[in-house]
Amino acid sequence: MIKIEKRNDVSQSIYFLTPILAIFLTLFGGGIIFYILGFNPIEALKFFFITPISDLYGLSELLVKATPLCLIAIGLSFCFKSNNWNIGAEGQLIFGGIVGGGVALLFYNHDGFYVLPIIILSGAIGGMLFAMIPAILKTYFNTNEILVSLMLVYVAKLLLDYLVVGPWSNPEGFNFPETRQFSESARMPILFDGLRIHAGIFITLITVFLSWLILYKTYLGFQIKVSGLSLKTAKYAGYKGKTMIIIVFMISGACAGLAGVGEITGPIGQLHRNISPDYGFTAIIVAFLGRLNPVGIIFASLIVALTYLGAETAQIFLQVPKYTGQVFQGMILFFLLGSDYLLFFKIKFLGLKKNEL
Amino acid sequence: MNTKLKVSEISKIYPGCIANDKVSLEFGSGKIYALLGENGAGKSTLVKILSGVVKPDSGEVFLNNESIKLNSPLDAKKNNIGMVFQHFNLFETLSVFENLSIDSDNKDEDLRVLVNDILKKYNFKIDLDIPVLNLSAGQKQKVEIIRCLIRNPKVLIMDEPTSVLTEQETDDLFISLKQFSKDGILIIYITHKLKEVLSLCDEVAVMRKGKVVSVSNTINEKIESLANKMVGENLNTIKKKINNFKDSEEILKVSNLNFKSDDPYETNLKDLNLSLKKGECLGIAGISGNGQNELFQILSGEIITEGTSIMFRNKEIGKLNPRERREYLMAFSPEDRISQAAVPELKIYENVALNNFKSSNFFEKGLVNEKKIKEHSKKILSNFSVNTDNVELKSQFLSGGNLQKLIIGRELITSPELLVCFNPTWGLDVGAINYIHETLIQINEQGKSSILISTDNDELLKLSDRICVIYKGKLSKIMNADTVTAEKLGILMGGGSID
Repeated sequence: MIKIEKRNDVSQSIYFLTPILAIFLTLFGGGIIFYILGFNPIEALKFFFITPISDLYGLSELLVKATPLCLIAIGLSFCFKSNNWNIGAEGQLIFGGIVGGGVALLFYNHDGFYVLPIIILSGAIGGMLFAMIPAILKTYFNTNEILVSLMLVYVAKLLLDYLVVGPWSNPEGFNFPETRQFSESARMPILFDGLRIHAGIFITLITVFLSWLILYKTYLGFQIKVSGLSLKTAKYAGYKGKTMIIIVFMISGACAGLAGVGEITGPIGQLHRNISPDYGFTAIIVAFLGRLNPVGIIFASLIVALTYLGAETAQIFLQVPKYTGQVFQGMILFFLLGSDYLLFFKIKFLGLKKNEL
Repeated sequence: MNTKLKVSEISKIYPGCIANDKVSLEFGSGKIYALLGENGAGKSTLVKILSGVVKPDSGEVFLNNESIKLNSPLDAKKNNIGMVFQHFNLFETLSVFENLSIDSDNKDEDLRVLVNDILKKYNFKIDLDIPVLNLSAGQKQKVEIIRCLIRNPKVLIMDEPTSVLTEQETDDLFISLKQFSKDGILIIYITHKLKEVLSLCDEVAVMRKGKVVSVSNTINEKIESLANKMVGENLNTIKKKINNFKDSEEILKVSNLNFKSDDPYETNLKDLNLSLKKGECLGIAGISGNGQNELFQILSGEIITEGTSIMFRNKEIGKLNPRERREYLMAFSPEDRISQAAVPELKIYENVALNNFKSSNFFEKGLVNEKKIKEHSKKILSNFSVNTDNVELKSQFLSGGNLQKLIIGRELITSPELLVCFNPTWGLDVGAINYIHETLIQINEQGKSSILISTDNDELLKLSDRICVIYKGKLSKIMNADTVTAEKLGILMGGGSID
C-alpha cells in the first residue's frame, strides 16, 4: 500500500530551489534522450545550451526571446496568483499584435516620435480588451476561463490569418500572406548595431519592477494574494471579487499585448501568419518555473528562451528537429510539477499485509 | 449471551501528540458505558482503534477473553462490533432500503423482513422507500443504527451521536439505547456532554490527554465532579447578568428580510425580523444547516440585500459589503476560522490586515503600511493573550484557541458597536472557550452589542440576553433568556412550537 500525506511545513528556501533541481533533472533527462538518439550526451547538451550563447550575437538573441516570455509570464502571474487560469496569453499576444500592427499600417507613410508610443499603447489596449472577454464571461455568466481564453487563441490566430491574406495584405507583395513593412518610426529602436536586441527589453524591465511593486507593496497586490489563497476570505474581507478578476485579466492581457506589439515592431517589422512561436503558451511554463515571483520569472524566462535557441542550433549541428526545444520545455514543466508534488506531499510505502488482501 | 470487551495497554502516538497512552478499560454487556473527554482527549482515537480504522502502536483488544486483530473496518464487522459515527455515511439520493442493502449480505426479501422486525421491535418509524435526503438527522442516525443492528452486534459504539439531534430526538435515542442494552448489546457512548452521561450511562470512563483518568459508576458522580475530572481543574462557571434593555437605544433592525438562493444546498431565509439594543446579546439557536450560514452572510454583507432591510444605527446598510459595513463599526467572526476568517498560509500580521478599516491606515494611498499593521498586530496579540508575540508567524501554527483569540481580537480592537459571531467556540478546549465567553460578556458590559449564532445551547443560555431559534430559514419569536430553557430551545430547534 502506498499512502500520500500532505507535508505541513515546506521551507521557503527549498520552495525556490526546486525549480533549479527541475532544470538539472531536465538536463539529465535530455542527456538520456540524446544518448538514445546516438549522440554523445555531453556534446549534444553543449550544442544545445552553451554554443547558442557563446558569442555576443547569441546573447542578444537570448534576450530577444526572453523579452516577450518574461513580459507575458509577469502578466500571467497576476492571474495565477489570484486563481484565475488565463491560458490564452497567446491569443492576447496575437490580438495585441493585430491592433498594434493595424495602427502601424495606418502610419506606414508617417514619420514622427509619436508613432511608436501610439502603436505600443494600442497593442497593450488590444491585448487587454481581448483578455477582458474571458474575464467578463467568467464574472457575469460563470463560464470557465480556461476554456474561453484557450479557444479565443484560435479566434485571434484565424483573424490574423484572414487579415494578412485579405484586407491588410501588402498591395505590392505578390499575394504573400503578409502586410507592408512598418515605417522606420514604427520600429523599436535597436540597441546595438548588428544585433537584434531592441528597446522592448526596457518595457519588460519596467513592467517587472511595477509588478513587483503592485504585488508586494500595494493593497491591490494584497487583495490578489488573499483571493488566491482563499476566495471565501476575500469575500469575508469585503474585496470586490468580480472587479479583481477583471483587473488581473486586464493586466495579464495588456502584458501579452505589449509582448505582441514588441515582436512586430521589434524583430519582425510587419504582420504575418507566425508572429509568435507560441510565446503565450511557453510563458505559462516560465511563470511557474519562476514561482510567480517577478525576479524568479526573469531567470526563468532566460532559461526557457535558451531552449528556443538551443533547438535551432541543435537543428543545424545535430540535424535533430527544432521541436526538441518543446521537448525540453515539456520536461522542465514535468520535472517542476513532479518535484513540487514531492515537496508538498510525502509518499509512504506501507508493507502489504496478508490479511489486508 | 455475555459479551466482554477489554482493551489492554493501548498506545497510539501521532507526531507531536500522544493520542492514547497505555489505555486499559473493561466493558461487559448489559451496561451502557460512557467515554468522556474534551476534544483531543483521545476518545476518538480509541474508538477508531476499536472500529479498525486506526491501528494502535501497541496494546491489544480482547473480545470474550480472546485477543482480536482489528486491521480494518471489515475486521470490526466480523467481530460484531458496530459503530455509528458522528457524520453519517449514507447515500443521500438512494432510498433507506437501498442504503441498508448495499453492505448487507442478505437477499433483499430476507433483508426487508429483518429490517421490518427491527423497526417493529424498537418502534422506529421510518419509511424504507424514500430517499435518505428527505430524512431528518435523527432519522438518518436511526438508519445507521439499523445498519448495525442487522448484523446482530455484540458491541455498539456511538460517537457523539447527539451533536446533530434535537432534545426530543436525543430522548428517543436514549430510550432505544437503553432497550439495546437490555437486549444484551454492550454500548459504548462517546461524548463530551456531561448531562447525557448522567442520564444515560451506567459507568463512565474519563479521558484526559490520552490517558484514562478515572472509571466510576455514574450514580456516584455529579456534573461538577465529572467536569473537574474531564478538565482537570476547577472551573469557575460564568453566568451573565441579564439586563433590561427596554429603554436602551436600538442599534440594529432587520425587517422583512427575504433571501432566495440559487444554490439548492443553501437555505432560503423567509421574512426575518429582529432588532437589537445597545449592550445587548441576541442569541440565535438552531441545528446547523437551518439558515445560520446565510443569516451570518447577510449580516456581514457577504450576501447583499435591499438597502432598507437592514438598518444599523439608523443607516441603511443592506447594500454594503463587509468592508463598508466595518466602517459603520460592525465586526464579524465567521464560523470557519481556518479557511474564512483567516488564511493559514498568511502571517499573523497579514491576517490582521484583512480587517482593513479606514482609520487603520493599513493601506495608505493604495500602498501597504507594514509597520503600522505590525504594530497593530502586536497590540492584538498582547491584549487578547495570544500565546505568541511573533507577528511574522504563519497563522497555521496557531492552535485553534489562539487563532480564535486572534480573530476575535482583530475584530474587537476597533471597538465596534456590534459583533456578529457564528459558533465562536467550536472545537476549542475549555480554557479557550472560557476566555472567549468572558470576552463576549465584557463587550456587552461596555455597552456594545452582539449577535451570537451558535449551535451550542449551553453557550447561548450562558451569554444571551434574548434568544430566538432559526428553523428552516425562519426565526422563532424572540424570547427573554431567563424564560428560556434548554428544553424549549430543543422543541423549537426541531420545528415544534411552544406558547
